[in-house]
Amino acid sequence: MRAASQNLQVFVRAPYLELHTGPGRGYPVFNVVDRDAAVDVLKRYTDWFKVRGPSGIEGWASAHDMEQTVLADGSHFHYDVGDMNAYTAHRFEAGAFFYGDFGGASAVSLYGAVFANPNLAAELSIGEFLGKASDGNSIDLGLAHIFYPQARLAPFVMLGTGIVHTEPKATLVQPSDRTEQSAYVGGGLRYYLTRRFFLRGEYKEHIIFTNRNQNQQVDEWKFGFAFFF
Amino acid sequence: MEIRLRILLLTLLLGLAGGLSGCATLRHLFGHDTPPPATAPADEGASTDRSAADDGTPPRVIEPEVERRNVKVPRIKSQDIEVGGYLGTLNIEDFGAHRVYGVQVGYHITEDFFLQAEGGRSKGGYTSFETLSSIQLLTDNERWFKYYDMSVGYNFLPGEVFLGRNHAMTSSFYILAGVGATDFGGDSKFTGNFGAGYKVLPTDWLAVHVAVEDRVFNTDLLGVNKLASNLEAHLGLTVFF
Repeated sequence: MRAASQNLQVFVRAPYLELHTGPGRGYPVFNVVDRDAAVDVLKRYTDWFKVRGPSGIEGWASAHDMEQTVLADGSHFHYDVGDMNAYTAHRFEAGAFFYGDFGGASAVSLYGAVFANPNLAAELSIGEFLGKASDGNSIDLGLAHIFYPQARLAPFVMLGTGIVHTEPKATLVQPSDRTEQSAYVGGGLRYYLTRRFFLRGEYKEHIIFTNRNQNQQVDEWKFGFAFFF
Repeated sequence: MEIRLRILLLTLLLGLAGGLSGCATLRHLFGHDTPPPATAPADEGASTDRSAADDGTPPRVIEPEVERRNVKVPRIKSQDIEVGGYLGTLNIEDFGAHRVYGVQVGYHITEDFFLQAEGGRSKGGYTSFETLSSIQLLTDNERWFKYYDMSVGYNFLPGEVFLGRNHAMTSSFYILAGVGATDFGGDSKFTGNFGAGYKVLPTDWLAVHVAVEDRVFNTDLLGVNKLASNLEAHLGLTVFF
């Protein structure tokens, strides 16, 4: 009784609910639950739900098929797999930049963002750059403003501050590592692919505040893959 | 004579029957029915209606005393995150094949695609030159091969593995590719990685992986700039939650 109350219970409204052996369309259907029968929803893996039928048989049902079930109060079961509306307005997003160029050095980075509204987000990105002259890490914190968030291809601008840690690779003179504050402005494009995914490419111009005579300017180009939730 | 006797006996019997008319079995026989029930309820109803009409208030209706139940929809547990470790062999170019161990974290976005980060370490041996000449090119500390990567993976060929006649486990092949960094020989290198693996899930939350990956970077450690290819084969165990 306790186990039953802990799980969400839904009722099949389609002629039947197909149960697959695994969470994927390639896994075969091995059983069905009849119309009007109650099923317990045990867990979710990506767009698949593990359910327990009235006879105790457990299997995986797709989110698409689960949309055909109803809750105890008669309302339809709904699971958001992501669409253009969710792309336009969401709370969090995260991504990885698989191509990066930080002042001539190859760069790898990750980012996460929290949205205040569909246009404005606070972003944090961390990265590592590996070049011939120097290696290092960078952390950026800033704001991004997205123009036309409802468009599939949406431009955005960025403004923020960060910290750059540089380890020069000189063989003759051994300069010491340095950690400096930076500021950046930038812009980019987001392109919605499908469901919860989009591509993101961006350019940032960093000004690194050094204690030498001149501040250092670094151009950074990044291209990556992101998703929202 | 006989007829007279019969009449007498019958008359006696009738007389007795009249005297025993209280007997239950004979009541109906003589029309001693119970009086019809009083029409009291109908009268009461009429009087109530009358009084209600006099007060000018609407008639009383039954008020439901059932509280509306607030149905709390339980949260469905998700299992999109995969965390685990692995142990295997890494062939560090020019420095021999050695044991490698590491950790991996994955996030499954759809049934097809996932993101995965790996971090591992191994320790290189000696090059042939070092073995023959007994000259050390690297310090002991520089022989540590430490790497991390982040990759995009794609699951394909989903299937099932059968253990005897009663146990079936889901399985899948996957390919992945990504970028990262490698720390070896006193230098950090931008590293590309690509590979393929096979995973079997004994339960929904546990996976056994067998994977082969190549980690490629540019190096000039031995004097010439070249693309070093470092093949790794490992056995991993991960938990979904």
